[in-house]
Amino acid sequence: MKSEQLTVDSGPFRVGVTSSEKVFLDTLSYFYRDVLRKDAPSVLDYEIHIQRPLNVRRWVIPQVRFEVDDMRPFEPHPAENAFPLYEWGLNWCIATSAHRYMMLHAGSVAFGDLAMVMPGTPGSGKSTLSAALHLRGARLLSDEFGLVRPEKGDLLPMPRGIPLKNASIEAILEFDPAAPLGPTYPKTRKGRVRHLRPDRESQIRQHEPAIPRWLVFPKYQAGAKETLLPLDKTEAFRQLTFNCFNYRLLGETAFRAVAQLIRQMDCYTFTFSNLERAVAKLSGLAQEPGAEQKGRA
Amino acid sequence: MNLLNKSLRNPEIVRCWKADDWNRFLPLVRNARLLGRCLFLFEQHGLLEVVPQRLVDQFRGALAQTRYLQVQAKRELRQVQRVLDNEGIPLMALKGVAYLAARLPPSGWRSLSDIDLLVREQDIEPAEQALKRAGWVPSGEFDDYDQHYYREWMHEVPPLVHHNRETEVDMHHNLAPPVSRIRIDAARLWEDAVMAPEEYGRQVAVLSPVDMLLHNAVHLFMNDELRGGLRDVVDFRDLFEHFLGQDAAFEEHLLARARALGCGRPLYYAVATSHRLAGLEPSAGFLGRVERYAPVRPVAWFMVWLIEQALAPQRLGMWQTAVANQMLFVRSHWVRMPPGMLIRHLWHKTFKSKVPATHDAEMPG
Repeated sequence: MKSEQLTVDSGPFRVGVTSSEKVFLDTLSYFYRDVLRKDAPSVLDYEIHIQRPLNVRRWVIPQVRFEVDDMRPFEPHPAENAFPLYEWGLNWCIATSAHRYMMLHAGSVAFGDLAMVMPGTPGSGKSTLSAALHLRGARLLSDEFGLVRPEKGDLLPMPRGIPLKNASIEAILEFDPAAPLGPTYPKTRKGRVRHLRPDRESQIRQHEPAIPRWLVFPKYQAGAKETLLPLDKTEAFRQLTFNCFNYRLLGETAFRAVAQLIRQMDCYTFTFSNLERAVAKLSGLAQEPGAEQKGRA
Repeated sequence: MNLLNKSLRNPEIVRCWKADDWNRFLPLVRNARLLGRCLFLFEQHGLLEVVPQRLVDQFRGALAQTRYLQVQAKRELRQVQRVLDNEGIPLMALKGVAYLAARLPPSGWRSLSDIDLLVREQDIEPAEQALKRAGWVPSGEFDDYDQHYYREWMHEVPPLVHHNRETEVDMHHNLAPPVSRIRIDAARLWEDAVMAPEEYGRQVAVLSPVDMLLHNAVHLFMNDELRGGLRDVVDFRDLFEHFLGQDAAFEEHLLARARALGCGRPLYYAVATSHRLAGLEPSAGFLGRVERYAPVRPVAWFMVWLIEQALAPQRLGMWQTAVANQMLFVRSHWVRMPPGMLIRHLWHKTFKSKVPATHDAEMPG
């Protein structure tokens, strides 16, 4: 097996990926073909190796290892799960080192250059909702990492394959039968996973920051009617800090950045069950008169 | 010597670095936990415009994390102080938390996940009991042998951590294990201790400048397999330069104290290594005089090789580094335990010790 090195831009991060797993490299190229290069060497943030271990598991029920800086932060995974392992591992690298940014645990999409930020715990439906909004034309910023530059208060995109889990996969296929999905991974730590590929525009515009304009706390609830309610700003502040990976770590910087975000965003809670109606409701916010103005104020 | 060592010795070389060089540099810096230090290095030499923005962002991210850990460490120190003050037990801050308390140069960039403290030998048990009554618990599982090992043979109690917090507290009563070849009379350290500036209305004692450097040397070259790594070597350089700037006779004092405490050999290793790998430039006369404490030639050369493999490998994950670490590990045990004790220790660690299960690193979300 011959090793190949690729360079992938993931938002503000440039990642070197070395692997000899052909299926993995093909999958990586499928998802990131618009931001992937094979040529000239350039300065990297992370050099990741996805390789088989040098033991019997190289051949028998094969496994792969995730390595960064010669560290192996995780146990080996089954070789067929190399792509989810890469995605998960890269998130780990970013979450543990990129404290130059304030990191929100939130999905986000942009209408023009105005961003809708959707924080939420796993299971709240933020990935599914981000995917649905994106499939209807909103620019995908990220499905779970909101990178905020504290000094500017803007949001840096990091469009990646959106990992749809279990019933969300069917929900998205029903919503858009032509949705560009990658292979199915039946057994990951989060259950059955299939990724949605971000469109070309989101990927090639990934270096263009967006201005946070709407803060929506989504909650999926089977059978519920789509309900969008304004949220008190103090409560929104509290909940946003709760959904910030490095809020405690950044201390005062994060306090000021969250306060700034809350001031410039309209805040809502949103209960939904049907994706079609949910997308219509949220896109409606962007079409309201005055939406543009307030975001820039 | 690798790119990190070269840049510490002569930062100007980065002016002609290409992408490949930066890509070899960054993992070395991350591994050595010197990201914050590099930001200072390049800033100080007016090189920030030459450094790729990606690296500057990585440096800044690491520095933000360091600031957080420093606040935690200071808070932990204050909490421990409060408890021990009530018991009338005097306390000295060591290593990272001492640099922080005394506002010495490494505090600008140095990260820390535990705080090292010194109490008098007769106080160590009452201090441990007092902390346990106040909510501290052992930070891991220690079996009877481990307990015995820490308490009887080493110079500390098993590390403690408060049940609500994350910063570990390592409490020692000496700078070197009582069983090791280097025996330091702790009473003399207390005699020379100095008070750090007041913070939050409190002051804490730290080692005198010369003792601080000797402790750094003993810790790196006698205690463990160079566990503090290049970071401790860089600490040595930064502290040395700082104290030399304040006291022209500092080198004299350092030599005299090393002689008095019997720490000549570790001082030699620390000075030679810091000179070679971290760019320390003491006066020529000083280097020559320290070399008198070097071991016989073949041993000195072999140690240079070992230290170089361990602290300055061309890239990470080389087999030479693994071999060197293994040999340094054995050596560190050899210098701190008499042979009979060493055999018993290795026997226990090999066959009796409970090996903790490995866990995946934690991932938010």
